[in-house]
Amino acid sequence: MAIPHPRDIQLAVVNWLDERYPFTKAVDESMYQRVPNFANAFYYCFGGMVFILIAIQLLTGVLLSLYYVPDANGSPAAAYTSVNFIQNTVYLGWLIRGAHFWGANLLIIMVLLHMARVYWTGSYRAPRELNWMVGVIMLLLVLAFSLTGYLLPWDTKAYFATLVTIKLAGSLPPVQLGTFIKEILQGGPVVGPSTLQRFFTVHVFLLPALIVGLMYVHFRFIRAHGISEPL
Amino acid sequence: MSDKDQMKKGPGAATAATEIAVIEAESHGHTLEPDYKRLPIGPDHILYPVLVSLALVPILLGDAGHHLADDMPEDETHPFFPDHFWPYPIIAVLILVVVGLLAFYEQKNLQLEVSADPRTANIPRPDWYFLFLFQLLKLGPELIMFGVVPPAVVTVLLLFPFIDAIAGPRLAKRLRWKTWPVPGRNIYTGTAFVIGLGIVALLELWALAGPLSCVPWPLTGLVCGA
Repeated sequence: MAIPHPRDIQLAVVNWLDERYPFTKAVDESMYQRVPNFANAFYYCFGGMVFILIAIQLLTGVLLSLYYVPDANGSPAAAYTSVNFIQNTVYLGWLIRGAHFWGANLLIIMVLLHMARVYWTGSYRAPRELNWMVGVIMLLLVLAFSLTGYLLPWDTKAYFATLVTIKLAGSLPPVQLGTFIKEILQGGPVVGPSTLQRFFTVHVFLLPALIVGLMYVHFRFIRAHGISEPL
Repeated sequence: MSDKDQMKKGPGAATAATEIAVIEAESHGHTLEPDYKRLPIGPDHILYPVLVSLALVPILLGDAGHHLADDMPEDETHPFFPDHFWPYPIIAVLILVVVGLLAFYEQKNLQLEVSADPRTANIPRPDWYFLFLFQLLKLGPELIMFGVVPPAVVTVLLLFPFIDAIAGPRLAKRLRWKTWPVPGRNIYTGTAFVIGLGIVALLELWALAGPLSCVPWPLTGLVCGA
């Protein structure tokens, strides 16, 4: 029996797939769709850079979570020791943690630049209002990421910065509401191990799920609306 | 399809005649790159699986609506792949390099302070992206500067498309403008943007100037940086 050429095998697979879903059509429609030339301006790539940075954050975040221990009991706490271990002992740990840290800083800069571009060119206008609102919510999520991530190393500056944040949130009127918010954030009477556990859960489970979901909505809207008019 | 077409060899030849007809019949009226201009990566090409995996993203994202490029002359548009796509892998590599270099040269910045101890006295200073907010808090009653001003700013940002669409044309009519331009061409919304950024930059610089750079402030007395 003659061995079929790899190309024929691939073609058979593609044909089999195409009979079940129009992949070839999808390739044509997405890859070869035409884009206006004005979208080549450098400021149109800020959103793409935000996407790349979020991808880097998700990847490095998963790698950090392999060694990070969200435990603030004891002195020094296991959380603190594990971050020190990542930074100074784990092979290339400094690179992954550094990439996560600097990626976060660059992310905020790029999100703000992207938002400034969208504002300046009036891209939030009809029919793209909903996408602007999704974007503003994602900006708040990115800030929440920064806020919760800041506490995780459990060193002095992280602890006291969070203390101030929680104190501020707890000062909102009426008193019952402030106290309620404070207790929800702290998870107890003081900023302690349960606070770290909560911030960790929000940073690692809740916020990534929310931002990935909203990114999906954001891109689906972009796909439906196409690129906006030039300035 | 003639016998001659079937004899064609090379990438894309195998399904070209049948598949393309289907695409033209079922497309949603989008301007696609004409067949002869596309990269020769047909379903039998070794790189075709790469294209399919890239296309999985738009499959997830659903059908495209009517786009601006659909109504533009061909010489004012270009195909998404590869003309519009190629910078992004390069940008991704550049970002990785920048992030890696920062991680390498700024390792001292990432060394931890001592483990948290609630008994120590500490004057906290937030990271740069919250510093302007930290400074804003000192400029008035905490309740207003934290509970009213930032939520109000976020609400205005969130609802800005509607504010712009409702209040904008009315103002334009009063000014006897024919249209209400986008912020980049609009003296009002454009200036609001610059002033907003200016206030944030000013607060940020004030905070960065340090605890010794104090300014007498009518509401709360002497206000210093962080």
